Amino acid sequence: MAKTILIVDDSASLRQVVSIALKGAGYDVIEGCDGKDALAKLNGQKVHLIISDVNMPNMDGITFVKEVKQLPAYKFTPIIMLTTESQEAKKAEGQAAGAKAWVVKPFQPQQMLTAVSKLILP
Amino acid sequence: MNLDQALKTYIEESRELLQEIEDGLLRVEQEADTADTVNAIFRAAHTIKGSAGLFGLDYLVAFTHGVESVLDRVRDGSLGIDAELVALMLECRDHISALVEHAAEGAMTATPELDAGGQTLTTRLNVYLGKQPPATTPAAPEAVEARVEASGGGRVGCDCWHISLRFGRESLRNGMDPLSFLRYLATLGDIVSIETLTDALPAAADMDPEQCYLGYEIKFRSDADKATIEGVFEFALEDSQIHILPPRGRVADYLDMIKALPEDDLRLGEILCRVGSLTEHELQEALGAQAAGAQAEQGEATEPAPIGDILVGAGMVQPELVDAALDKQKQTREHRAQESRVVRVDADKLDRLINLVGELVIAGASTNLIAQRAGMADLLEATSTLSRLVEEVRDSALTLRMVQIGATFSRFQRVVRDVSRELGKEIQLVITGAETELDKTVVEKIGDPLMHLVRNSMDHGIEAPDARVARGKPAQGTLRLNAYHDSGSIVIEVGDDGGGLNRQRILDKAIERGIVQAGQNLSDQEICQLIFEPGFSTAAAVTNLSGRGVGMDVVRKNIEALRGTIEIDSVEGQGTTIRIRLPLTLAIIDGFLVGIGGSSFVIPLEAVAECVELSEADRAASRDRHYLNLRGEVLPFLRLREVFDVDGLPPRRENVVVVQYGKQRAGLVVDELMGEFQTVIKPLGRLFGHIRGIGGSTILGSGEVALILDVPSLVQRTSEREGRALAPPHALSVQ
Repeated sequence: MAKTILIVDDSASLRQVVSIALKGAGYDVIEGCDGKDALAKLNGQKVHLIISDVNMPNMDGITFVKEVKQLPAYKFTPIIMLTTESQEAKKAEGQAAGAKAWVVKPFQPQQMLTAVSKLILP
Repeated sequence: MNLDQALKTYIEESRELLQEIEDGLLRVEQEADTADTVNAIFRAAHTIKGSAGLFGLDYLVAFTHGVESVLDRVRDGSLGIDAELVALMLECRDHISALVEHAAEGAMTATPELDAGGQTLTTRLNVYLGKQPPATTPAAPEAVEARVEASGGGRVGCDCWHISLRFGRESLRNGMDPLSFLRYLATLGDIVSIETLTDALPAAADMDPEQCYLGYEIKFRSDADKATIEGVFEFALEDSQIHILPPRGRVADYLDMIKALPEDDLRLGEILCRVGSLTEHELQEALGAQAAGAQAEQGEATEPAPIGDILVGAGMVQPELVDAALDKQKQTREHRAQESRVVRVDADKLDRLINLVGELVIAGASTNLIAQRAGMADLLEATSTLSRLVEEVRDSALTLRMVQIGATFSRFQRVVRDVSRELGKEIQLVITGAETELDKTVVEKIGDPLMHLVRNSMDHGIEAPDARVARGKPAQGTLRLNAYHDSGSIVIEVGDDGGGLNRQRILDKAIERGIVQAGQNLSDQEICQLIFEPGFSTAAAVTNLSGRGVGMDVVRKNIEALRGTIEIDSVEGQGTTIRIRLPLTLAIIDGFLVGIGGSSFVIPLEAVAECVELSEADRAASRDRHYLNLRGEVLPFLRLREVFDVDGLPPRRENVVVVQYGKQRAGLVVDELMGEFQTVIKPLGRLFGHIRGIGGSTILGSGEVALILDVPSLVQRTSEREGRALAPPHALSVQ
């Protein structure tokens, strides 16, 4: 069975492109448009990897990561943060919260695939 | 779903976000607490940029990046938001909108017009960033290295990368599954063998199943470079210990590469990084260990452990590579030491040497003359060899006095910074030609005039930032200092991209001050030169800014004292370039000896273009006019016999020496051409200082004194005469 990835970002187009790339590589993808929405989407279902933006309305990425890490079901789920080069501080904050991997925005779909495949192979 | 659809979504989404930005910007001024609104605007810009990257719309990314950076500073409170910034942001929003619509048509690159618009806005945005935003650092260049070709005969068993991994205890909880990394590693090459180390495993009772206790020793065969292999474990680097040692074959390659490195002043770590045997991350770690070690041992005041030992000890590189890199460093250092072997000499000693060489030149000329008179072929040959050598000695003695102008130029960095701040203008200084060499005395004396010119350009030339922007120029003004050699002189330029000279105002002022008469016909260059007239204060005349007592006439006087001249190139609205032309050296020149009556005169050879005979026809035709036809060109000339009031009648045949200064040419009519001759300039006494047309004197081999002509002032006289054909001729007399 294909592995499932949750992508959380407030940009619908970013989610679309990333999921096209990930689906093409053989992953299943669920999308969330912000932290709150993503938590609702997770709802206990098995997810192998989470990709989350930092800046989002309603619930930002850092809070979202902290919340996810509280949930026993996702204790071992790797999380990739989407940071920008101007946000070194955010990257450190994300790592402290439990998101150990990161991809710097703006990125090419291939870069995302590489980062994902270091953490889980399809 | 496909990418086209995603792009459509992106365009739709961007339009909505742009609307949000606009609403936010219009709202933000009325709000007391702007944090939420600013955040929303930032997020919108950020999203537009982030997704643009995914579609490869680099021009959108680049422009939006600047906007985002400014917003980021507003967000963290280091920049206040005011009406002006809102207006700029609205313009930027419109530009992003234009770019998005452009992208909607499927374009992958921006049009030149869009680019230009973006550039202007980016310049204005940079003002808020206080500096040029650092260009987004490209990914570290991948080590370029030749692939190791298998040398046939099957693979050698041990020629593999050796990777030793000790994952952090928390790895599993962080979602970093060691197995995933190993699987990914396998996509880069073959894992030849893997040994799992279980010695860290505690007794079953103490074991926490959620922790990672395992380590691995891996033999890995791959063509990938070290940085790529390290990249596999990128996300685990922080909590884990990872050592990667290259295969044997690689070590030899690295050794070759170290030897082939250019001789830059590199640190040991940098050398190893450069060839790819050490990764950036490893170097940082080793440097950290070195600093920590030094701190721990502070009490004993020991030297910190050498970085090479740390690297080898930590198993990051092989010892032979460290040795090779150290050798390389030593070799470079020795080479350096040889290069910079410099002797410091007292300037006075140098001056004495130059003086002696000058005397030698004169004595050589005298010997030459005697040899010619005696008509002894052997002696003539010997003296010609001697003069050639003396010439060489002279040239190399003169180069001893040459210094680069760079040091003088770079002093102005500080001046420009301070003065521009004082004036509330933004001015950058661009220096070129800093390596141009000129005589030390000239360098010392050029400082003050240059300072005047630079301050003048900043004060009156370059406009205030808002005036510049209104004229469509970048807010930051540019001041240029440039130096170069040009046919026997050195040229120093002070240029600005300011308002340029306003001819009419200069002329009006000059007439008002009685410097020129109304109705007098002046060339453009002459009008510009008026600013150097004594009594013409540019400060009061051209702008309302109060002057700082910068008398431009003093500048011209100083330059002329160095046998130099000043030219001005100015385009109104675009800027002014002031060009100072100076002789290369003050002491010795190559001269061209001419005779008039019984006197000899020297014309500096670099000014001589050609010599022609004054034909009978020209002579007759030019009896009462002062120009002749030189191959279809009008050549004004001066009869030196008249200029210097030399007694006696002209001989039957006269010659014309065509001299050139800058772009102007003139003919000097003389009796006799006596040929090239090198000569030492002896300054004229102060008594003769006011005489125009004479630059100095020299002693000939015969012991006679010859006067050195000042070509610039003679050339100027011919053109003055052209302009004022009716004015009575000046006469100069030499006693």
